[in-house]
Amino acid sequence: MNSKIGSSWKTRFWAVVKYELLWNIRKKKFLGMVVVAFILATLSLALPVLLSNMIGQPLKQNPDYVISTGAGIGGLGMFLFAVVVVMNSISGEFESGSIVPLLTKPVSRTMVFLGKLLAAFITLLSAYAVLFIYMAVGGTIVYGPQNNLHLLPLTLLGTILSTFVWIAIVLAIGTTSKSSLIAALGTFGIFIALTISSPIISIFTDQAWILNYVPGSGMTGYINGTNPQTPYTPGIAVATGTDNIAANLINYMLYPSSNVTFFNIGALRGQTQLVELHTEPLSTVLTRSILVALAYIIAFLSVSWYAFKRAQILE
Amino acid sequence: MELVIETIGLTKRYGSLTAVNRLNLKVEKNTIHGFLGPNGAGKTTTIKVLVGLLRPDGGTVKVLGREVHGDMPDVRLRVGYMPELPKFPKHLRGWELLDIYGRMYGMTKQQRMEQIPKLLDMVDLKGREKDFVGKYSKGMQQRLGIAQALLNEPELVILDEPSLGLDPVGMVEVRELIKEIAKEGRTVFLSSHLLFEVEQICTHVTIIHKGESLISDTLHNVSSRLSGPATVKVELAKSSDAVVEAVRQLPFVFDITQDGNMLTIELKTRDDVRAQISQEITKAGGVIVSMSLKGQTLEEVFMQLITKPQGEKRNEQ
Repeated sequence: MNSKIGSSWKTRFWAVVKYELLWNIRKKKFLGMVVVAFILATLSLALPVLLSNMIGQPLKQNPDYVISTGAGIGGLGMFLFAVVVVMNSISGEFESGSIVPLLTKPVSRTMVFLGKLLAAFITLLSAYAVLFIYMAVGGTIVYGPQNNLHLLPLTLLGTILSTFVWIAIVLAIGTTSKSSLIAALGTFGIFIALTISSPIISIFTDQAWILNYVPGSGMTGYINGTNPQTPYTPGIAVATGTDNIAANLINYMLYPSSNVTFFNIGALRGQTQLVELHTEPLSTVLTRSILVALAYIIAFLSVSWYAFKRAQILE
Repeated sequence: MELVIETIGLTKRYGSLTAVNRLNLKVEKNTIHGFLGPNGAGKTTTIKVLVGLLRPDGGTVKVLGREVHGDMPDVRLRVGYMPELPKFPKHLRGWELLDIYGRMYGMTKQQRMEQIPKLLDMVDLKGREKDFVGKYSKGMQQRLGIAQALLNEPELVILDEPSLGLDPVGMVEVRELIKEIAKEGRTVFLSSHLLFEVEQICTHVTIIHKGESLISDTLHNVSSRLSGPATVKVELAKSSDAVVEAVRQLPFVFDITQDGNMLTIELKTRDDVRAQISQEITKAGGVIVSMSLKGQTLEEVFMQLITKPQGEKRNEQ
């Protein structure tokens, strides 16, 4: 048999992908996360219906509900999905010792690494796609016929790109520490630190430029000439961070040549006069958020790949 | 002499601890080579360097004629490796694990469908292949480890402590399995601290202690070099020159001395040849009163080696 085997790298690569995919979809953490996401999605659809029935007012039709909410996966959701999908992708193999039989098969470490990444992508794509479809159907039932549903695949890709920033961070910490716990806690620490510090920096520094370049929500601005989402805001809100690529993609598709104006947050909070900080094209906001996300993804994945490639298997 | 494993001056350190120290190891093709040593001798470290899991700090390592560095998937296609107490992903079923590993070897579906049931049968896991590996006992995981090491019908099979964690029946089965593998023309390199196991199945042996090779040769030579050849003592009912001459003509007899009715026969082999000697004596008209085989066991050789001062050991290489 020996002379006939080993001819196809594709077979070997897909073996790694299948190996990882089976792990991903059988993880209790992942299944639990999907169930929680569905419960939250169901609540977000059902609660307005219940409340409107309780107060006796019919629910307003909203043809933009689905496209404006996506699958309802916010920054926390993306962070949690990233953690449950890849927190033990590599570090778990070291912890359990299953890395030994895996790395003695005729697959290179780069192939194993890329296979695990592709499996994470497929896992996220499947989970998000089902959630998006669920929200699209549910949104149509609750809020009536929806506009721009053809843009949902873009939202899906944007959400996955945003999630991959967190995936890259989790993998980098997990591969260098070889500990799933450190990977999860370390990323959680970064997430919390950014979630707390970003608004504080935003208020005290008049939305400093640095906010455009850290993972998370980033700066907040408003698209000029659009209808405000709340009575207190001057237009459709736009956030510049890596968590908002999906929303920025949709906004760009709907308002391709519009500009985004950023205001002094303190002024906004005080309900006094808005102090305009600066204005830039929406296309710049979108391009920058994608490039920053890609830069983080490439940087952190490179760290993980190098650490994995150089790792000695002492287990 | 074709070598499938060759290390020259292999050194591996963990911080200040030298786990393997300038190890020279040669494993010939089509042999069962035992790699012996007490716990912590450096056996597993050496094997991990051979299969590319650890980088050596010094020396050169060749497997199947290729110098080992990096991933070397083309060499791994021809090598089967079972780690010490193998740990497999618990989320996979036994069959799935072998199927996925088979795909990693680039095996076609047909090849996998033929090979996997055969291996499951061989390692006595048939009927449990649909269970998750996480539910397997230690012995079952060990047997699964052997199956995955043979999946690609490798030229070289490296087994790290293959009997560890097995019950006595399992140990016997594994020994028989290793003999079968060798009969198929594969080279088996196995580490063990079970001396009787090595003595029963290996043709060659290397003894390692504190990271250094103490002796490496055929099993027969290792025992002979330290203790002299095995001897058979025969007590005859009546001394006879014809009997002495007949025995002397046997091909495995090195020398024979006679002291009254007692014959001391020095052998060239360490095989148990008492039946052939008995037959020859009877054929020559002799009557045997008693017969005993005396030869130093590998255990005795091993103890002798590892309890000697380092200087003496090096002189014996």
